[in-house]
Amino acid sequence: MANETVAIPANVRAKAQEKQWPDDLVESALAAGATPEQLIGYMDQGISADQARQFLAAQAGGGPEPSKELADKAALVNWPIDLIKTALAAGAAETDLMRFMDMGITAEQAREFMAGGGAGQPQLDLSWMNVPTEWNTRAKPTKHGLTLEGINIGRYGEIPDVWPYQTEMPRGAVPIPGVESMGYSIFEKQEVWSDNCARLYEEAIQRRWRPATDVPWDTIQPLPDDLERAICQICTHISEKEQMEADVLGRWEPDISYGYHEVKLFLATTIFDNARAVEVFRKRALSNGGGLGIQSPGWGFRSIVDARNFTEMAVIQFVLHDSLTLMQYAYGEKYAKNPAEKFIFARAMQDKARIVDYGITHLKFVMMHRADRRDEMQRYLDKAEGMMLQDDKKDPATREAFAIYFGGGKDKIHEGLAIYREMRRKHVEQYLARLKWATIDRAERLDPGMRVFIQD
Amino acid sequence: MPVFPSVEWFNAIKDIVNSDPAFRQLGTVDSVIGARVGSKIYELTFEAFECTGVREVGEHDLRDMDFWLEQTPAQWQEMLDNIKKNGAADLTHTLNTIDLSLPNGFAQSHDGYRRDAFYRFNQSIQDFFNASAKIDTTYAPEAVTA
Repeated sequence: MANETVAIPANVRAKAQEKQWPDDLVESALAAGATPEQLIGYMDQGISADQARQFLAAQAGGGPEPSKELADKAALVNWPIDLIKTALAAGAAETDLMRFMDMGITAEQAREFMAGGGAGQPQLDLSWMNVPTEWNTRAKPTKHGLTLEGINIGRYGEIPDVWPYQTEMPRGAVPIPGVESMGYSIFEKQEVWSDNCARLYEEAIQRRWRPATDVPWDTIQPLPDDLERAICQICTHISEKEQMEADVLGRWEPDISYGYHEVKLFLATTIFDNARAVEVFRKRALSNGGGLGIQSPGWGFRSIVDARNFTEMAVIQFVLHDSLTLMQYAYGEKYAKNPAEKFIFARAMQDKARIVDYGITHLKFVMMHRADRRDEMQRYLDKAEGMMLQDDKKDPATREAFAIYFGGGKDKIHEGLAIYREMRRKHVEQYLARLKWATIDRAERLDPGMRVFIQD
Repeated sequence: MPVFPSVEWFNAIKDIVNSDPAFRQLGTVDSVIGARVGSKIYELTFEAFECTGVREVGEHDLRDMDFWLEQTPAQWQEMLDNIKKNGAADLTHTLNTIDLSLPNGFAQSHDGYRRDAFYRFNQSIQDFFNASAKIDTTYAPEAVTA
């Protein structure tokens, strides 16, 4: 241990003056091997000059005297008295030391622990306090509170066209070389972005609802068997496809690199919305004397599950399929048989409209930045519309269940089928209108099987 | 008693919802919508947790709205009478039900994307009109085409 006087760096001197550590104490600590950063850290932790002197004395073999009980125990387990004094000077409690001895910790192990910063005196680094990130950031809450958009200030709000990092490093932080890759596959903004995804995230958070307690479940009265079977089949279908959507998004979420956290957060809320839909429709099916029905053949689902890139999935799921689900919810709300079903369909409709919004604004972003992908999007829709129409042919259960529900009974199924066609017409009209807004004109390229719904 | 339609009537509803914790609990609403009653058009602005503005506007202002609600004065009265009688719209008089029942729809828009605000904020807008149950409404004579 060196005893020569060492020069006190200016920053340490300034801190020592602030914390009332005399120069001789600081010099002794530096001479004993403490780094300037460590000393500053100790002072910032509130360690007094007296405590520091005790510690230094203990390091040199001094320190508080242990109680007889502790000393006797230490002798039994071969812990030298200087070790005990050092530990006490460092802030260890006598009861803790005795417990360590009872646990069988040897003197050597105790010394190693203390050298590593244990016994109340950590080894400090503090170099992280000097990282060159943008500082003095003061995001302010607005009428909407403190939002994701609100904290996109300065460099933290710079959303790059290409994210260059493979790790979970947050946007705006400083990278550490050598951190293992997360295995992301999506690094380009145009693959996932929509300009309103941060706002949609906040809206999703604010507009949450709780199926268990918000739905007026006690307003459900017994229904005729055909109507109960119809709504239960509808609930089975919806539960299935909402779970499928959640699963698909759950697989894509880890592929999106951290630079686009707004998208990742919004998609997380969508997965939560999907889960809520699975929950509430399953609950409805099992709450009024009915049960679940038959699963869907799932032809349309495959085009979503099989998508090879995110935008392909988004266009098919959010723009095509969720547009139809949105209409199913709207019509379900209109023809609801009781306030509970009215509530469920209306809230599900709100949730679904958000992901449709994301889907169409993402598509528009792609078109604005990668117009060369226009025909690619059309091809995805060619394929997906065809697969959706396979469901029309092979899934009579969904169509007939909706028709019975809309018509008001099996004996009115033909009236209900007319309403079902009207619903499909509205879906196609709104789907084409949304695509047009995203600069995709699909009117001439629409699958003939879908065109029939909008032809007089 | 506020006369429907009028800025005064919509302001009365605005004051009710803005002081109602249940309206806030529904979450944020960010939309500019319209209500067209005969020849009269009213613009309602929603921002964050409140209705922040009501004003009477002209035909050309419809283009700046996300969507507007349009039905005949008699249909508006039927809807509001239903709300008054039941405390809220019943199963056959919700905004969405009316929208799907009218040949041209209740919620109309010049923009197929912006119209989706009708779905996204449907329950808050429904709550806004449901609040009319708390006031006594009188009705203006059939609006005269301007």
